[in-house]
Amino acid sequence: MKKRLLLLSFFVASVFAASAQDTTKADPPLIISGSVDTYYKYDFSKHSNIPTSFASDNNSISIGMIDLALKKKVGKASFVGELSFGPRGQAQSIPNSDDGNSFHIQNLYVSYDVTDKFNLTGGYMATFMGYEVISPAGNFNYSTSYLFTNGPFQNPGFKATYAFTSKVSLMAGIFNDSWNAYTSVNQVNTFGAQLMVAPVKGWTAYLNVLTGKLSGTEFDLTTSYQITDAFKLGLNAATFKPADVVGTGGFTGVALYPQLAVSKDVTFGLRGEYFKTKTGSYATLGPAPGSSVFATTLTANIKAGPLTVIPEFRLDNNKDVNDGFINKSGAPTKNASQFVLAAVYAF
Amino acid sequence: MAYLYPMKKALFSLICLLCAQIAFAQKDSLAFDEGNNYIYYRVVDKPTLSADTLYKRGWDFAAAFNQSTKPAKGKAESTLNTSGKFIVYSGVSLMRKEGGEISYTINIQTKDQRYRYRISNFVFKPYQRDRFGNMVPIPGIEVPLEKMSTKYGKKETDNYLDQIASFCINTASKIKQAMDKQPVIKKAEPVKKVSTENW
Repeated sequence: MKKRLLLLSFFVASVFAASAQDTTKADPPLIISGSVDTYYKYDFSKHSNIPTSFASDNNSISIGMIDLALKKKVGKASFVGELSFGPRGQAQSIPNSDDGNSFHIQNLYVSYDVTDKFNLTGGYMATFMGYEVISPAGNFNYSTSYLFTNGPFQNPGFKATYAFTSKVSLMAGIFNDSWNAYTSVNQVNTFGAQLMVAPVKGWTAYLNVLTGKLSGTEFDLTTSYQITDAFKLGLNAATFKPADVVGTGGFTGVALYPQLAVSKDVTFGLRGEYFKTKTGSYATLGPAPGSSVFATTLTANIKAGPLTVIPEFRLDNNKDVNDGFINKSGAPTKNASQFVLAAVYAF
Repeated sequence: MAYLYPMKKALFSLICLLCAQIAFAQKDSLAFDEGNNYIYYRVVDKPTLSADTLYKRGWDFAAAFNQSTKPAKGKAESTLNTSGKFIVYSGVSLMRKEGGEISYTINIQTKDQRYRYRISNFVFKPYQRDRFGNMVPIPGIEVPLEKMSTKYGKKETDNYLDQIASFCINTASKIKQAMDKQPVIKKAEPVKKVSTENW
């Protein structure tokens, strides 16, 4: 018994000593990250009006999604696999599987650093286009913009990225002919490219293009500038033209994102977005072709460690009274407004 | 068997003490300089070696230590500087992931039969997860190590301080090895051979 106790104590001591060694030499861990989110939304017309993505349920304490991402890098090779479960990660963001209701892949790809400047990546990836993303932990606002809603969510393909310096990099790739689907419709014939520039410390800008005979052509500018420790300014501008076989018209828009941190844990942000559906046959999730909408969203992020509480007020103003908003009396109206209270736990 | 109870108490206390010692040992390697900035500072005597010899060894160490950054001559006499960065991890066990990167400066100064070095100017750049599931630096956010506890809380700051101290301890042993001009000895593993002739 005495020998066992002694052996046990030496074992424990050696385990602690070993783990207290140089942590910088430890094998990179399997990284698990993700988020969960839940929300309450109240539309002042007493039913959901605003057609942008997610937070769709009115006057209900509802769920977004559980998002789980795995990443491992050994040497030059890495993989990322990211699944999501829940309304935000299933039917609302990615096409359903055949059974209509299953988990969904947000990212599933492998990557290889040919050199420390040149990387190759292939698989099913989140789109490189646009300012906002599917994950609620990646956005400041809980509701999403019209530009996000109408743009791509995922682009499966193969891409190469070269970092000329830490301030300039270029990505070019080929992608499936259709957005947001695990497989192509017919072929891999969409070309995408991204130029990243970081002119000064805190300022990053991405010039993006995605063009294909079936997927259409979108040009996008996404930029953000941490001007001071407290103040950040973001901008997203895009224009889209559908493929000839799909229709005519498209959309265009611009959104501005000023954010001010008033304390370590509280930041206020405003999103002002102008979105126009171009004249033509192509219909968007938004105003009718030839019309436009101006959306103003005031959001706060209140952090308590990994938990962020997000109260948000939004007012959308359509150009035309027949663009889709209905008031509480059932009559068409130009305006829609909603209040959202969300909680996002990121890990 | 009655003697086992005090034996168990003694062993348990020893284990707790050992754990506490090891837990605190890393962070306490760091000190504060005159400007109240974190520093890892050592002065080492090297009898019989000249300032020039030590400087050359220090330069060779700096050139090899971080190959993406060339060492530079310092303002003071017989001084050289190099800089670099390393990843620090947040969380424990399964939830461990890149929390950010720490940039640092190494300054080495030599004189006859003595040299000193300091590892300082620690700046933390926090990481966040991007749309592709990778942990990447948040543009424009840099926090001097001295201000970390005001932004990130004690537990998280202590975790990063431990990792920084561990890095400094390792770097110090590499500096010592370079200055002592000790060859890096790779332990040769004995090859097991059998003789099939005599049986």
